[in-house]
Amino acid sequence: MRGTILRGSLSGGLEVRLDIGENIEEVKVGTFCVVEGRTHDFFSMVVDEDIEAANPKAFYETLSDNSLLNEVVRGTGIIDKVKIQPMIAIRREDGKVQPVKSIPSYLSRVREAREEDVFKIFGRPDRTHFHVGSPLDMDHIPVCIDLKKFIERSNGIFGKSGTGKTFYTRIMLCGMIKSGLCNVLVFDMHSEYGWEGEDEDETRKKAKGLKQLFGSKVAIFTLDPESSRNRGVHPDFVVEIPYRSIEAEDIILVREELNLNPTALEVIYVLQKHLGQDWLITFLNMDAFAIKDFADRTGAHEGALQAFQRKLFQLQRLPFIKENPADDAVERIMQYLDSGMNVVLEFGHQRSMLAYMLVANILTRRIHELYVKRSEKALGGMQGNNTPLVIVIEEAHKFLNPELSRQTIFGMIAREMRKYNVTLLVVDQRPSGIDPEVLSQLGTKIVALLTEEKDIESVLCGVNNARMLRNVLASLDTKQQAIIMGHAVPMPVVIKTRTYDETFYKEITKDEDGTFNRGLMSGPKQAFGSSAGASETDEPPPGKEFEDLMKELYGI
Amino acid sequence: MHTLIGEIIESRTAEFVAEAIRYDQVPAYGSFVRVQDGNLRVYGIVSGAYTGSLDGVSKAKAFFKSIDELKMEQPQIFELLRTEFSCVVVGYAEDGRYHPYYPPIHLSLHLPVEKADDDEILTISQHLGFLEKTLNSPAGNGEELTAAAIRMAARFHPDPREYIIRAGRELLKMLNYDTQRLKSILERVDIA
Ligand SMILES: Nc1ncnc2c1ncn2[C@@H]1O[C@H](COP(=O)(O)OP(=O)(O)OP(=O)(O)O)[C@@H](O)[C@H]1O
Ligand SMILES: [Mg+2]
Repeated sequence: MRGTILRGSLSGGLEVRLDIGENIEEVKVGTFCVVEGRTHDFFSMVVDEDIEAANPKAFYETLSDNSLLNEVVRGTGIIDKVKIQPMIAIRREDGKVQPVKSIPSYLSRVREAREEDVFKIFGRPDRTHFHVGSPLDMDHIPVCIDLKKFIERSNGIFGKSGTGKTFYTRIMLCGMIKSGLCNVLVFDMHSEYGWEGEDEDETRKKAKGLKQLFGSKVAIFTLDPESSRNRGVHPDFVVEIPYRSIEAEDIILVREELNLNPTALEVIYVLQKHLGQDWLITFLNMDAFAIKDFADRTGAHEGALQAFQRKLFQLQRLPFIKENPADDAVERIMQYLDSGMNVVLEFGHQRSMLAYMLVANILTRRIHELYVKRSEKALGGMQGNNTPLVIVIEEAHKFLNPELSRQTIFGMIAREMRKYNVTLLVVDQRPSGIDPEVLSQLGTKIVALLTEEKDIESVLCGVNNARMLRNVLASLDTKQQAIIMGHAVPMPVVIKTRTYDETFYKEITKDEDGTFNRGLMSGPKQAFGSSAGASETDEPPPGKEFEDLMKELYGI
Repeated sequence: MHTLIGEIIESRTAEFVAEAIRYDQVPAYGSFVRVQDGNLRVYGIVSGAYTGSLDGVSKAKAFFKSIDELKMEQPQIFELLRTEFSCVVVGYAEDGRYHPYYPPIHLSLHLPVEKADDDEILTISQHLGFLEKTLNSPAGNGEELTAAAIRMAARFHPDPREYIIRAGRELLKMLNYDTQRLKSILERVDIA
């Protein structure tokens, strides 16, 4: 693409007249281009295209019977025009990168970006600059995300179903794990991140999970050991949730899933007040008489209590909720994280929204509490492990919708940024369901194709030049194309994402010096020994008791 | 020299009129001519021609015979005819450099008019400014003359079609992007 600046404004973007002979059909929206101004280079994105006549009459005259005339008029009387949005400017004199505060002068030359431009803006791949894809039509030129900046804030991955969210999440997880800049905790609803996932691609069929790529750097926890086993996965730990850890907040979060009516909240408070920490299990164990008695004593409505109890019985159908679990999942997770490992929690067959939300919320709340305590200690000058934690949740709108986002732990984490070293990576196909305030707090967004107007609107909310990016978003390919915008990239960019295949596996498991690092740490034991902030306790390494647990649970 | 085609009998800044060396030897409409005036070599494009009686007053008379018959029977009438042609001035060369605009002084009378050489035509027509002169020809036949000049010039360019397109683009701007007028000109530039 070559052309010259025809007109434009700072607020409305620039119009480029394509040079005669350039083919507008080859210029894709989203293309990364450079305007060479008099003193500045303006790095821009193609956001729209149209055809303009110097004299509108020209449009209406039948030109087609005279090829000579058509050729003369094309590019002179009727011009192909590309609209671009400058995103960032570099002063040529000293290479200073600046936000766009002026526009290039008339007739400045416009060209497609080259490799050195991409590197200048996004950096070269290294430990903290993670190669996520290439600019449109510039395959093999890596665009990098600044991982340090990425993990400073909560981030989002959005796109319609089937656009590759799960794959982008895998890729980002690989980048983060490899960098060692943070630990990740994945609430893996569909059990696709731990060991193996499906790939619609006919030849690949399967996508490797993190455990296969990073070996002992990754632990697989499960809520459904049987399902894990059936898939040939050896989980490191089986998660059980004690009744007493379920709080009012958790019940409120899943009130839709439990089909609770609004008065349930009051009932919970009465129960909590009178029954204390074990309110839930005590309440569930009450028979009709006990409920009547309780109602009489407390003045609560007997009918409401009964109705509420019936609904709460749904919790008893979740096999992982236990009165007295063998072990504390949160402690285990923390142990693993502290030893520098990453945790994927598989849900197996427990993939109901009820199970997912309940577990994610309960675990995250406690983990977050621990991180808060730690950072307070750290503020007080005490040493400790302060590797940031990135928590991955799917179906994020369920947790972060406007009604709930103020009350739940996830809303809190998204809002408080990295104050306590915990951030989210939210994955969702319906961003419009997420509280706009939370969306606007997200640092970096990776957005694949969205077609619903309100979804497009919501991901662009709070983005500079949002109006301009609308077209770009709506015209992405259905797969492996995304726009990345926000904190971790200097300017929004459309990329063809890396393909998650054997080549990727090789590159991601390769050390910078070319050796493979998988299996360097042979197990959690060693991992513990080598980590700085390892737990002080002398407990047996987690993972060991899986066999025991299986025996206990299933008698095998 | 055999390239001599006429002699200037009327001269203005923008235009000159020459009498052809013979009544039946006229340069083609739209062709390129030159006049050496001192150290200036002025170039023009033939913008029209006229044949009439020698005295300019009396009119030729119709005989209703073929030209061959007339030449046999009435040879003297041809002695009484003269042809003049007009040219628009498009530029001039001085010290080997071509300037696509009017010379500082208009041409003197009685200077010989010659056909321009091929490479001269190539140079002159490279500067598309001549289109503006033909388009605004004082004779009022601008579109016709422009088409003729492009036709003539294109033949001297290695890729005539490419040349016509380039000229067309320039014209379109001069025509204030009036594609209808451009069309009517280009339709007269049929190259096979
Ligand atoms: N980066 C990639 N590398 C290889 N294949 C990809 C990539 N991105 C997408 N795909 C292909 O697209 C298919 C769908 O991707 P994916 O399962 O990630 O979609 P999704 O957005 O998570 O869908 P859903 O909303 O249904 O969960 C994959 O099975 C894979 O074949
Ligand atoms: Mg998915």
